[in-house]
Amino acid sequence: MRRLTLLLAAAALTLPACVQTRQYADLEFTPPEGNYKLLVMRPDVSVGSVTTGGMVEPRADWTEAARTNLIAALKAQQATRGGNVLIMERRDSLPGVDPETVAELERLHYAVGQSIALHRYSGRYLPTKRGKGLDWTLGQDAVRLGQRTGMDYALFLYAEDSFASTGRVALQVLGVAGCVVGFCVPNIGGGGQFAYASLVDLRSGEVVWFNVLQAGTQIAGIKMGDLRTPEGAAQAVDRLLNRMKPGRAVRERQKASR
Amino acid sequence: MCMHCLEISRRAMLAGGGVLAASLATGVAHARIRPQEMTSLIGPGYKPTDRDEVGIWQLMNRVEEEVSGSNLLIKDKATNDYVRDLIGRVGGPAAKDMRIYVARIPDFNAVMFPTGFAVVFSGLLLRMRNEAQLAGVIAHESGHFLRKHQIRQWRDMRRKTDIFAIGAMMAGVAGGAAGVYTGDLVQLAQLGTLLTLLKYNRTLEAEADAMGLKLIAEQGLRPLAMSETWDQLIAELDASARYRRRRRDRRIGLFETHPLPETRRADLKISASEVTVPGRTYDDGRDRYLRAIAAIRPMLLDDQVKLNDPGASQYIVETLARDGWNGLLRFYEGEIWRLRNREGDDTRAAQGYAAAVQYADAPPDAWRWHGVMLQKAGRLPEARNAYQRYLAMAPNAPDAPFIRQQLQQ
Repeated sequence: MRRLTLLLAAAALTLPACVQTRQYADLEFTPPEGNYKLLVMRPDVSVGSVTTGGMVEPRADWTEAARTNLIAALKAQQATRGGNVLIMERRDSLPGVDPETVAELERLHYAVGQSIALHRYSGRYLPTKRGKGLDWTLGQDAVRLGQRTGMDYALFLYAEDSFASTGRVALQVLGVAGCVVGFCVPNIGGGGQFAYASLVDLRSGEVVWFNVLQAGTQIAGIKMGDLRTPEGAAQAVDRLLNRMKPGRAVRERQKASR
Repeated sequence: MCMHCLEISRRAMLAGGGVLAASLATGVAHARIRPQEMTSLIGPGYKPTDRDEVGIWQLMNRVEEEVSGSNLLIKDKATNDYVRDLIGRVGGPAAKDMRIYVARIPDFNAVMFPTGFAVVFSGLLLRMRNEAQLAGVIAHESGHFLRKHQIRQWRDMRRKTDIFAIGAMMAGVAGGAAGVYTGDLVQLAQLGTLLTLLKYNRTLEAEADAMGLKLIAEQGLRPLAMSETWDQLIAELDASARYRRRRRDRRIGLFETHPLPETRRADLKISASEVTVPGRTYDDGRDRYLRAIAAIRPMLLDDQVKLNDPGASQYIVETLARDGWNGLLRFYEGEIWRLRNREGDDTRAAQGYAAAVQYADAPPDAWRWHGVMLQKAGRLPEARNAYQRYLAMAPNAPDAPFIRQQLQQ
């Protein structure tokens, strides 16, 4: 039994930390460039602290800091791409569109996003979507929002981050120290980042690009990112948005013409 | 913090004999909490200052934003004004701070969120026979807020999971050093932690019951109404189970987050006599209640009947009819039979519709189905009359042109 524990521990130690992104795109997707107009929907952010026992306790001050940093990082990132961006900080910050319409679209996107997560990321693949890249749409509601605001794309953002509390880190230290006597718990976990971004083409209503970012360690106390700091937020935005790949059909054509 | 919902995995039961040992250790005995002991822990305009509570409030404000804009909410003004007024009466010191939303969910439930907003399910409004019963449930939910239950529960859980995590780690390290495998002990400790968490939850529910009772009695609403609510719930669950030829889900008391309905009912009955002031008159407020929900009552009944739970639906209709039958209740009684569609149910349904149309408040659909049943029975002239009555009451019904055409033939 003890030997097995050690083996598992050794296996875990080789894979202690990771930053992972996985993106899907519409077959005909080309990353927006040049003079496009992007509407960033109110980012959904929450940051908490991992208690000794492993519960995530929400922290109001950290969440506020992370939201502010993320918005600033997004503005900076978009400025380099030449796009025309409007970031919604509240549901009513879109002139001429009532907050209820915005809320409806957010809820619709939430449902569609759940479906993408289930059928693209959780392994429940649908035979009807095989080989189709990303094949989901928000329909006419999104098109109408585009017509009303003159925007080309809408970006939906979700981010959560959590950090091990002092107690959790102490527990981790104890777990590693236990290795000496053969009770090895080097990876109790605690804290980590999870975020996703979803790009909707407001001319067609389709979700054209979707990316999920996971950054975390199995070792409590080691951070792979920190949304509470401007640098950490910029890093998350970079990981999430800066490596947008074109859709498969587009890539194949590019390869053929080369 | 909802009325009677729970989903606790019974996987922990796999610890086998550990259950018994742990139950002896934590004790499942339960003591009634006296309403007199219940005082509000917060005053008007309460705002959190502790870091953990501030964090939870921020998260909950987002939740409230979603809930308040949800399209599941019932918009009817009379209903909303009424429940808002009611929580204003039984909300104790925080009455002015609390918000209440009515959601169209045909289920017996109400939930209080940590920031002081409550969601009442439409299925609750359907089942309550009077204002005192509804006030009892709302006051129970207010009790959760006034006694700061959510944050107390959170802190308790945090403390216990902390202790468990440290304990498990220490046991492991100590066992490792001594060369003993402690896995089973750790598992037992985990079960012990789980059990004490539930115990705390049950205590809080009992507190909320006691607090709620005190609040409604102070408002002159009949205290016994609260235990009657539990009479109804228990009987309804039994009726539903009987129809499905199952036993009522007798969940294991050890793992109940809420006290057993029977225990709550018994405690509420005893406590009701304690809060009753001799000589004071207590009111049921039945007329006020029925007036307030009049506009949505057909929808409430309709949603329930379509749940395809004839045992429960029949019990509910008959319970509401204890205060007197009317056209609406008779019509839905017929609907239960028609939708159940077993041997002889069409006759029962026909009788229900025939009884419904005897009342002045029979809904148009009662006349329509009465007509259909008469037509099936070959009583054409009577069917024609019923259809005409239906068209007169609902000239713009979706099937009106079809029925008009039939009448011409």
